[in-house]
Amino acid sequence: MSSASRLTMPTFVRGLVAQGQVVHALVLRETRTRFGAHQLGYLWAVLEPVLLILTFYILFVVANRQLLPGMDAMSFVATGVIPYNLFANSLNRVSQSIAGNRALLFYPQVRPIDLAIARSLLEVATYCAVFVVLMTGHGLYTQSFEIDSALKTAVGFMLAGVLGSTAGLVFCTLGQFSNAVDRIRGPMIRPLFWISGIFFAVSELPAGARDVMLYNPVLHVTELVRSGWYPSYESQYVDLSYVMGWCLVLAFVGLSLERVVRRRIELS
Amino acid sequence: MIELRNITKSYRTPFGPKVVLSDLSVVFPSLQSVGIIGVNGAGKSTLLRIIGGALQPDSGSVVRDGSISWPIGFAGGFNGTLTGEENCRFVARIYGQEVDRVVEETRAFAEIGNYFFMSVRTYSSGMRARVAFGLSMAINFDAYLVDEVTAVGDRDFKKKCHAAFQERQERSSLIMVSHSIDTLKRFCQKCAVLDTSGLTIYDSVAEAASAYGETEDES
Repeated sequence: MSSASRLTMPTFVRGLVAQGQVVHALVLRETRTRFGAHQLGYLWAVLEPVLLILTFYILFVVANRQLLPGMDAMSFVATGVIPYNLFANSLNRVSQSIAGNRALLFYPQVRPIDLAIARSLLEVATYCAVFVVLMTGHGLYTQSFEIDSALKTAVGFMLAGVLGSTAGLVFCTLGQFSNAVDRIRGPMIRPLFWISGIFFAVSELPAGARDVMLYNPVLHVTELVRSGWYPSYESQYVDLSYVMGWCLVLAFVGLSLERVVRRRIELS
Repeated sequence: MIELRNITKSYRTPFGPKVVLSDLSVVFPSLQSVGIIGVNGAGKSTLLRIIGGALQPDSGSVVRDGSISWPIGFAGGFNGTLTGEENCRFVARIYGQEVDRVVEETRAFAEIGNYFFMSVRTYSSGMRARVAFGLSMAINFDAYLVDEVTAVGDRDFKKKCHAAFQERQERSSLIMVSHSIDTLKRFCQKCAVLDTSGLTIYDSVAEAASAYGETEDES
């Protein structure tokens, strides 16, 4: 786009275009630094979660885990592990976005929020690709492919990404005030692995445990993905507004802190 | 034109806030080359970064018309794991330039051969500076901010930088920080002294130098 044509645009649109350019450049660059210069790097990005899913699949089969009717072990693991990983990886990657790219803040148009958005987008794109590849493979293998509601599944994925990214932004910005934030992040997030529905569906839980477990927004996300995926499963426990509430609060806190951090960061 | 209005900037230190720039107001006219001298720690680099927008002042505002470069001479904006070419692509993209043209012009200017396609971490500081400088020349800025650019690079490279700036003076302005009066004389028409009382612009480098109380340096 020429600079002349840009000057005729309203300021807001001009800002949006400029930020779009920055985020686009950051995504491309992030792809390079993350997956390496070789084409095989992208393959690893897909292969890594696939291996993880296979491991859990084998565990499920060996343990002879009884699932609800209409669910097979492979898709059950995939609809749990992939949204959870999307959440957890967005959170971890975004929380490190300033630390990993501090040098780029040297360019005036690059702001901490751009670094966070770029990492978040890349994470969502990677895990959506992983899910599509895996489920297509699974569908071809079992010769059956049925999605109850593609929209619900997609919303589940989006919320996993947004929830992880906004929480990551809060950690990332708070991390600029104290190193302790980085240290407590792991211990805070890791337990979620066990309670976010990778190993169970909400309706399999006893009523008492269920009410407590449903305070975890990530559980709602995996539950939503499974509700969308399985024609035979419709969860009455998913509360979209609860998850969105979390996203909104985290986004508000994260974005406010980002404004503070923007001024605070000093280039070395 | 670049106008600074009542700029104040302080840094947090373990010994309390340290005010670097205090209520500074100044106008840098278009198509002029202005040098800035001042003792170490006077706030010259801080001033450049505030002009460029990479650093936010505590209070006050900066009015800019036209595009302004990052402070040239500081190759800190490169990622060591990426090649010179990839770094150039990134910068060209964020400035909304034609990526291929910028990459090609930078490669031609830097003259570092195949290193251009190797990781930046394998570069010497001179090579980094060559790429960084070539890159800033490949993007057409209305104003160039320069922070001790001629401190790096060999003689040929310095000559090349000089020629590139000369060629650009008709269409771009230049704000240059340096400790070398000789360098400033070569590049700048006007010169400003930055000290605790603020920024004072003099009509020639010689005037500024005498006000600064500095004799011609030997370099």
